[in-house]
Amino acid sequence: MARPVHPHAMTPSRPGRTRTAPPQAPSGWYAQPRMLRYLLFDATGIVYLLVGFVALRVVWALGTGPERWQELQRQLANPLYVAFHALALICVVFVAVRFFSLFPKSQPAHIGPAKPPPQPLILAGLYAAWIAVTAVVVLILAGGIF
Amino acid sequence: MSEQKKTFVITRFDPDKDQAPRQQSYEVPVQPDWKVLDALNYIKDELDGSLSHRWSCRMAVCGSCGMMVNGKPSLTCKDAVADYGNRLEIAPLANFPIVRDLVVELEGFLEKLKSVKPYIVRAKERALAEGTHRQSPEQLEEFKQFSYCINCMLCYSACPVVANEPEFLGPAAIALGHRYNMDSRDQGQAQRNQVFRGEGTVFSCSYANECSEVCPKHVDPAAAVNQAKFNAVIDWLTGFVVSREGK
Repeated sequence: MARPVHPHAMTPSRPGRTRTAPPQAPSGWYAQPRMLRYLLFDATGIVYLLVGFVALRVVWALGTGPERWQELQRQLANPLYVAFHALALICVVFVAVRFFSLFPKSQPAHIGPAKPPPQPLILAGLYAAWIAVTAVVVLILAGGIF
Repeated sequence: MSEQKKTFVITRFDPDKDQAPRQQSYEVPVQPDWKVLDALNYIKDELDGSLSHRWSCRMAVCGSCGMMVNGKPSLTCKDAVADYGNRLEIAPLANFPIVRDLVVELEGFLEKLKSVKPYIVRAKERALAEGTHRQSPEQLEEFKQFSYCINCMLCYSACPVVANEPEFLGPAAIALGHRYNMDSRDQGQAQRNQVFRGEGTVFSCSYANECSEVCPKHVDPAAAVNQAKFNAVIDWLTGFVVSREGK
């Protein structure tokens, strides 16, 4: 079965002599695993927006004073907040893995005379950078640096 | 070879009679080595001569026989009937206006294709006496993959942006434009990049990567579109310091 798409999708600038039926797409298209993953990838934007609001709350609490800051810390320890941040972490990992898999082939063939390294090397570099940044953040949070 | 009966549910649309597309079922005795196109030709020849569908080469070269098979874009001369179950739903390519049955309107696609100047543009043609434009294997390698496109339009059927943004140039047209931009003999990059920077072009692509997943020739249009994004930006930036006269 089919569902309608944009009525002007792939229509010519001037209509032909024959009447055409409007463009359509399979009804189950967006439920297919690949498309579902793509939609989930897009939907993670909502989670990042909410994380942004939480970050704003943190900054506001810091500026208001120690009592407000301690109260916010208590709120952030709530299991719902912890679950939300666990979800945000899963989203970040999911988007990073997807981005890393698509990034190497998006590189131009050359920039001036310089050519990009082979795609597996770019991919390895991305994961290495990710691990390095994560290690630095963990060290900062654990008090190892600063 | 033993034949097996399979049900083909085919989208039918007669512009003179039907208000909207409808479905019609056919029982087809398929041979084990049949492609989906063989079954459609059997229906046309033996069961219902009024069925309309496009095909030509039967060897995945001409790109004429693209259709939706069980909801997925497919080159019907390439995909075997044996790879599907006992029921196959055949529909015209998604995201295209339907002319008749499984035949879609191509004019919109051809307009998009023309807009990227899919040919070698030279600022000044060289004289025949000067000989051919020579190209090294390394220079050829930069665009060879993108020149394998057979314009089957499966990528347009798979693209979620094409379904929602009518002005989007689409994967095949951008990949072809990018193919010529990467060609060492071509001098039309500035003209094509101007098109690429316009409304509904490379930056409308949200990198779903579906076009590359369904491409029967492994052209990887998603890579071409995203490389074209980078080149269009670089071209725009260099335009501030380098004169484009003659290009």
